[in-house]
Amino acid sequence: MEESSSRSTRSNEQRKEMKKVLEKTVKKRSKEEEEEQEQEEVQIFNFKCTKEEEETKEEEDLSDSEDSVFSGLEDSGSDSADDDEEEEGSDHKGPEKDDLKIEDEEEKRGTETEEKQDDEYKHDSSDEEDIRNTVGNIPMEWYKDFPHIGYNLDGKKIYKPIRNKDELDDFLDKMEDPDYWRTVHDKQTGSDIVLSDEQVALVNRLQRGQFGDVNFNEYQPQVEFFSQDVMLHPVTNRPADKRSFIPSLIEKEKVSKLVHAIKMGWIKPRRTEDDSRGRYYDLWANEDSSILAKHKMHLPAPKAPLPGHQESYNPPPEYLFTDEERALWEQQDASDRKLPFVPRKFSSLRQVPAFPRFLHERFERCLDLYLCPRQRKMRVNVNPEDLIPKLPKPKDLQPFPTTQSLVYRGHSGLVRSISVSPSGQWLASGSDDGTVRFWEVRSSRCMRTVQVGGAVKSIAWNPNPLVCLLAVARDSVVLILSPSLADRQVVLSTERLLSGQREAESTEEVGPVTWSDAEGEELSQGITLKIQHPKAVHQVTWHAKGDYLASVMPDHSSHLQVFIHQVSRRRSQNPFRKNKGLVQCVSFHPVRPYFFVGTQRSVRIYNLVKQEMTKKLQANSKWISSMAVHPGGDHVICGSYDCRLSWFDLDLSTKPYKMLRHHKKAVRSVAYHRLYPLFASASDDGSVIVCHGTVYSDLLQNPLIVPVKVLRGHVITHDLGVLDVTFHPTQPWIFSSGADATIRLFT
Amino acid sequence: MSQLQARFFTDNQRYVVDDVPFSIPAVSEVQDLSNVINKLLEARNASHNKVEFDFLVRGQFLRTSLSTHMDTEGISTVLPASILTGSYDKTARIWSLEGKAVMTVAGHVDVVKDVAWVKRDGLTSLLLTASLDQTLLLWEWNSERNKVKARHCCRGHTGSVDTVATDPTGSKFCSGSWDKMLKIWSAVPTDEADEVEEPADRPRKKQKTQQLGLTRTPLMTLSGHNEAVSSVLWCHSEEVCSASWDHTIRVWDVETGGMKTTLMGSKVFNCISYSPLCRRLASGSTDRHIRLWDPRTKDGSLVLLSLTSHTGWVTAVKWAPSHEHQLVSGSLDNLVKLWDTRSCKAPLYDLAAHEDKVFCVDWTESGLMLSGGADNKLYTYKYSVCPTDAGA
Repeated sequence: MEESSSRSTRSNEQRKEMKKVLEKTVKKRSKEEEEEQEQEEVQIFNFKCTKEEEETKEEEDLSDSEDSVFSGLEDSGSDSADDDEEEEGSDHKGPEKDDLKIEDEEEKRGTETEEKQDDEYKHDSSDEEDIRNTVGNIPMEWYKDFPHIGYNLDGKKIYKPIRNKDELDDFLDKMEDPDYWRTVHDKQTGSDIVLSDEQVALVNRLQRGQFGDVNFNEYQPQVEFFSQDVMLHPVTNRPADKRSFIPSLIEKEKVSKLVHAIKMGWIKPRRTEDDSRGRYYDLWANEDSSILAKHKMHLPAPKAPLPGHQESYNPPPEYLFTDEERALWEQQDASDRKLPFVPRKFSSLRQVPAFPRFLHERFERCLDLYLCPRQRKMRVNVNPEDLIPKLPKPKDLQPFPTTQSLVYRGHSGLVRSISVSPSGQWLASGSDDGTVRFWEVRSSRCMRTVQVGGAVKSIAWNPNPLVCLLAVARDSVVLILSPSLADRQVVLSTERLLSGQREAESTEEVGPVTWSDAEGEELSQGITLKIQHPKAVHQVTWHAKGDYLASVMPDHSSHLQVFIHQVSRRRSQNPFRKNKGLVQCVSFHPVRPYFFVGTQRSVRIYNLVKQEMTKKLQANSKWISSMAVHPGGDHVICGSYDCRLSWFDLDLSTKPYKMLRHHKKAVRSVAYHRLYPLFASASDDGSVIVCHGTVYSDLLQNPLIVPVKVLRGHVITHDLGVLDVTFHPTQPWIFSSGADATIRLFT
Repeated sequence: MSQLQARFFTDNQRYVVDDVPFSIPAVSEVQDLSNVINKLLEARNASHNKVEFDFLVRGQFLRTSLSTHMDTEGISTVLPASILTGSYDKTARIWSLEGKAVMTVAGHVDVVKDVAWVKRDGLTSLLLTASLDQTLLLWEWNSERNKVKARHCCRGHTGSVDTVATDPTGSKFCSGSWDKMLKIWSAVPTDEADEVEEPADRPRKKQKTQQLGLTRTPLMTLSGHNEAVSSVLWCHSEEVCSASWDHTIRVWDVETGGMKTTLMGSKVFNCISYSPLCRRLASGSTDRHIRLWDPRTKDGSLVLLSLTSHTGWVTAVKWAPSHEHQLVSGSLDNLVKLWDTRSCKAPLYDLAAHEDKVFCVDWTESGLMLSGGADNKLYTYKYSVCPTDAGA
């Protein structure tokens, strides 16, 4: 840029000089023209010489690399201006200034040129060509050997101008005449013509391809006559063609061809380019995974500590060292220093010098990062909910009882015990009002009422489907009831069972238990046998075969707490010499000859055949209230008065496999379903909780216990809620009896 | 009275028409009746030639119009529609539509669980009672003398007989019992007792005293249910459908005695009803829903529709005899509901008359709805105008 601009200025200076030179020559020439005719002969020689000189001069010009633009008609000023425009871009001021300068100079000598032009135009009749010479449009070489170059209008010879300049003059002209660059040799007249500014400008415009007339505006606004807009006054009054109203047949033909081609499948829709294939590829697809893993294991460098107040250029005064501190700092070893530098105070940030230890510090940090091993901390994220074992949803564990369906009303006292007949048709209930009632399950109708003359503590239906018997514990008597609610065959077989050993029985009249036949009114009510115990019987339960009956008389002092009766033989025996603890409940194993005895704290399992204790289950509860044995025989549940229900897996351990504390108050009764994987517990809080309990034959798999439903319905009376609970033998239904003298069926 | 119900019988096999009651204008004469018979025969047999028939009405030739003939001969015009109920008081009762107890049928030693009409024409009707005492009794009721006589005692079940149904022809009936069996019996009264193989050690005299009517043994026993049979019905004269506590509905072929299809449910079925008009089974079970089934499906367990509005066990459902979409249901929530299967979301009417559990519902031919419940009452409801109870 600078160079070019200096060059342009230089060229301007040159130009000025040249203009001066040209002016001089023009002045000279105008003087000389007056003397033309007198010096004709001399001119001829000179002319030749000048021609040769001019050629050589042109060659020189061509050879001149920088100023070759000066050749011919080209305007060096305008050219340089062009250069400027190209180089300086939008800056137009430079060349304009130059032009102005040029104009100023031209104005100075304007008077002279105008006079000259007046002279010229006296002879001029045409813009196109100088017609002072009348030889016409012929090659002027033909006049090469003549002193004249043609004839004027008067027929006189026009003589070639006298060329008395030699090469030196010419060169001087070139160097000194400022108008030399605009001097043109007229072949017709053989004279040199100095072009005026207007002519130069015209030449420039024409060279640029512009219009010769300066005032001609080639970009005049165009007036659109025929446009898409419908004008109020149309250009023509011609009505619209008919073809503009009817659909074009050609277009129709084209469209139909296209449609046909589409139908035939020749034209297919443009296929969208599939970028996924070919165009892009996974740069790291074949990369070794270990390298990637290394990248993944990238550890970010620990961040450098941020500067504190000590590092400030203007620290608070307490951070500045006192003399002692400074002395201490200087005495200390570099590694013992608290600070690696001395805090300094500057009045302004401008005066802070360069930090001399910068490189050193960077190096130390790099060493730290390089030499001190870093380790990725593996944080173990444990979701606490994952630790809870996944239990299936109760919805998936159906069927189980959900709603109360029937209420069996009729008792007037609290119903202590209920039992369902093996067929599932009848329900027996024993109550404190001294009655045993038989209900039809499906209609909740009380079919029979048997007055037993005392509060019924326990009731148990014989599980053998071939006999129809009911054991009822009333005070110290166990009554055997034959409700005759079954098939006649069954009733008969029951009678046979009861009467079979009547004769044999009479001989052995031993022990504290007496068997006696019921008579009179009791017999008509269905009571067939009475087994008199020494103390109040709390519980009766049958063996699965239906011949043996166990009864419980809880008593601390006596060893006579449990009796096992054989109904067919009318025999009773006390299986235990001595009792440890207060017996709460007993139960027979459903298939094997085992006998479960539940005391306050534990459950003992006896083998009746070997007559020994096989297991002692420790229930972690204070007072066992009830017990139920799984129909498979390997699991036992115990309910206790301290609101717990414990599930024992006999194969697993003598400790409870699971303790369920769902009840708010004492658990009164527990029961297993015979077919479905269900068990239930009834409590004094008036609720029955039904749980799903699947046991697996696979010994390695623990039972699945899921509480599924809380059944409410019983009204709590005298702080007692539900007293007994039992399942229907075939359906997933549950019966519960409560202190509100009702029995409820939930299905 | 403009219409009469009439059945036509003949000994000539060529001219037998269906043994169903026809509704005939009371003013029609011999010629009109003859035309009716000819039309019926033509419909059956295109090559039938027109025959002039004579008609005997209870042994008398018909000479005038039917109405005048009945006036002169003193024949009661309509059979008084009667309602038969069985009760837990061990009796069955026959009621007139007005709610008057016409007859008490006592004979069972235990609760009557189900009752059914066998034949209701002429002066003598045949009716059935099923009881908890494991027997069914076939009674003959003479409405003129208002006497009832036990014709047969059907023995064979070993559990309480919970349900009984008569086949469409009135010649057989089927009973379902708690002992998981279905038994097919002949409903035609005879004068001989069937032989019963007695248990050897059974005291004979005791059995004799208990006997009421002649002993009858089942024609066929259909076994296959795993639990008590709660409801039985005849789809048509060769097909019996039974619902059970083992969560299944089974369709049996009476001819072969085999089981045809089984529809599996998820709950105990209390009752089923079949409508020949829409050929659907409706079932009520020990949940709140009434389910509609298509018994023709082979692979079972396709519930077409569930009607849910009851809040207790559905103990009884019955399709309307003359309406394709209507059914009535009774539930333990003391409500009887009239349903239209086209609107399964809600019942048409809640009939809240009972004060205790509803155990049975039925329709009369004339479109009255009946319901009986644990409050010892039988209610009739008229649908056409608005549901009103006509008293017990």
